[in-house]
Amino acid sequence: MAKKPSFDYDLIVIGSGAGGSAAATIAAREGKKVAIVEADTFGGESPNWSDVPTKALLHAAQLYDEARHGARFGLRSNTLGYNYPSLRAWKDLSVRRTGAAGNKKFYESQGITAIYGRAHFLTPHEITINRRHLSAAHFLIATGSQWVAPDIQGLVDITYLTPRTILETIRPPKSLYIIGAGTTGVEIAQLMAIFGTKVYLAEIAARILPKEEEEVGELMERLLREGKGVTSLTQTRTLSVVKEGLGYRVTFLRGGAEKSVKVDDVLIATGRQPMVDLGLENAAVTYTPVGVEVNEHLQTSAKHIYAAGDVLGRPGSTHSALLESRVTAHNVLMKNKITPDYTASPRLTFTFPGVASVGLTEDDCLKRDLRINTAIAPLNIIARSNTSDFRDGFVKLISDKKGVLLGGTVVVPHAAEIIQEIALAVKYHMTAADLAATPHAFLSWSEAVRVAASKLVK
Amino acid sequence: MSQLAVDVVKRNGKRAPERFDHNKLRRSIHAACLSVRSPEGQAAETAQKVCDAVIIWCTDKPEITSADIRHQASRTLKRFHPDAAYIYQHHKVIM
Repeated sequence: MAKKPSFDYDLIVIGSGAGGSAAATIAAREGKKVAIVEADTFGGESPNWSDVPTKALLHAAQLYDEARHGARFGLRSNTLGYNYPSLRAWKDLSVRRTGAAGNKKFYESQGITAIYGRAHFLTPHEITINRRHLSAAHFLIATGSQWVAPDIQGLVDITYLTPRTILETIRPPKSLYIIGAGTTGVEIAQLMAIFGTKVYLAEIAARILPKEEEEVGELMERLLREGKGVTSLTQTRTLSVVKEGLGYRVTFLRGGAEKSVKVDDVLIATGRQPMVDLGLENAAVTYTPVGVEVNEHLQTSAKHIYAAGDVLGRPGSTHSALLESRVTAHNVLMKNKITPDYTASPRLTFTFPGVASVGLTEDDCLKRDLRINTAIAPLNIIARSNTSDFRDGFVKLISDKKGVLLGGTVVVPHAAEIIQEIALAVKYHMTAADLAATPHAFLSWSEAVRVAASKLVK
Repeated sequence: MSQLAVDVVKRNGKRAPERFDHNKLRRSIHAACLSVRSPEGQAAETAQKVCDAVIIWCTDKPEITSADIRHQASRTLKRFHPDAAYIYQHHKVIM
């Protein structure tokens, strides 16, 4: 009988972000010998450089913005101001508080070997980190992704900002040209506009937040323009960027005409590229420039190597990466393999008002040729809009012909909390009648969900 | 050019790793270019460009495999000289 090969570890996780951390912790708790390798900052992108710091700054910014407009509630806010270094200190504090940031010690306390360095596959079962060779029975690739600059003339010659580097600037720029009006681009646009930056938001699609419902893009564009002075340049192709004085001259094509604008800084938020430069060829792992290819169990072309998170190249989020990480841990530990269920994974934009959606959008249904009913409840018909003096927003629900909910979108304050109700309904195939029959607290924003559901029942 | 501190792990791992030798890579690319009848000057220039690209790729990696070098070199060579890249990739089968 052939001798079973012995390995240094049962599982080596490459990347300590959301895609890797959960799997490492679960496997270690189940008694497996686990190592986790990180090439950048322990905790990965979300707690250190994206979700946590951005949301901490957005919270402060929205508080400042609301207080500034508090005169209508009888609040005196003429002398209100901000101190940007203190705001940055708040951001750093919130990053430290998450516990996930720089958490090498946490892994060590869980009995996980935490190694700082860049992993590179030598063979399907062996990697090298700082000239140290480690072998494992299973691997999880969770290296994540990084912002990638589009092919725009002159961009390589300038120091442009990314959503990561803008958080480290000493002060907000006086003017900013953002390329890409997806979730991150819109969040940064609102954040900087609140602090007084003149923002130009360029997007090649016909509306900002192009992956959301049409009504969302139109509403957010209007709110950003009227409330924050943001110039949305939809259907715009950025052609070139050249240095001019202390700033940059950006030339773009819009409506068939070439125009230009002078700004202090340029920020790239067009898309992310998976980090796949880790010798995957040596491990017989198939990948494309889009990401690592996996089957429904998140196994790569080498069955003992799994991949999770942004490295898959899917439009993901931290909670989706965590889900994939947990699924991977299960599949490594158990014989019966499971698949991640993304049905109720919400998509969130932490602006004010927030944007959140779950399940299918109307465009998704049209593409699938589904027969659907839709209903929209504008916020101004519920009592809370009166007490908060906020009327711009809506709840949109989509159901099939039998009334089973397929998806929903909310544009309301605290959207990330409101969407969970719809997420639960979509996941468990509840009907609009079920939602409409559930009592909703008076003077909560969630009353709009009940109203939208009632419209679908009629 | 000073020697890079990059070790090359040999195929199957049976032989000891050796230091990355960019001249060895340049010679093999040069030979691949000449074998598809590239002019001498063009072959030398292409070999240098490919060599530079591989050096940039491996500077932040302390250890790579010989397969990595072949893969990176052929990927870059394909841009400059697709025929030579084919020969470089398949010379062991062809010979």
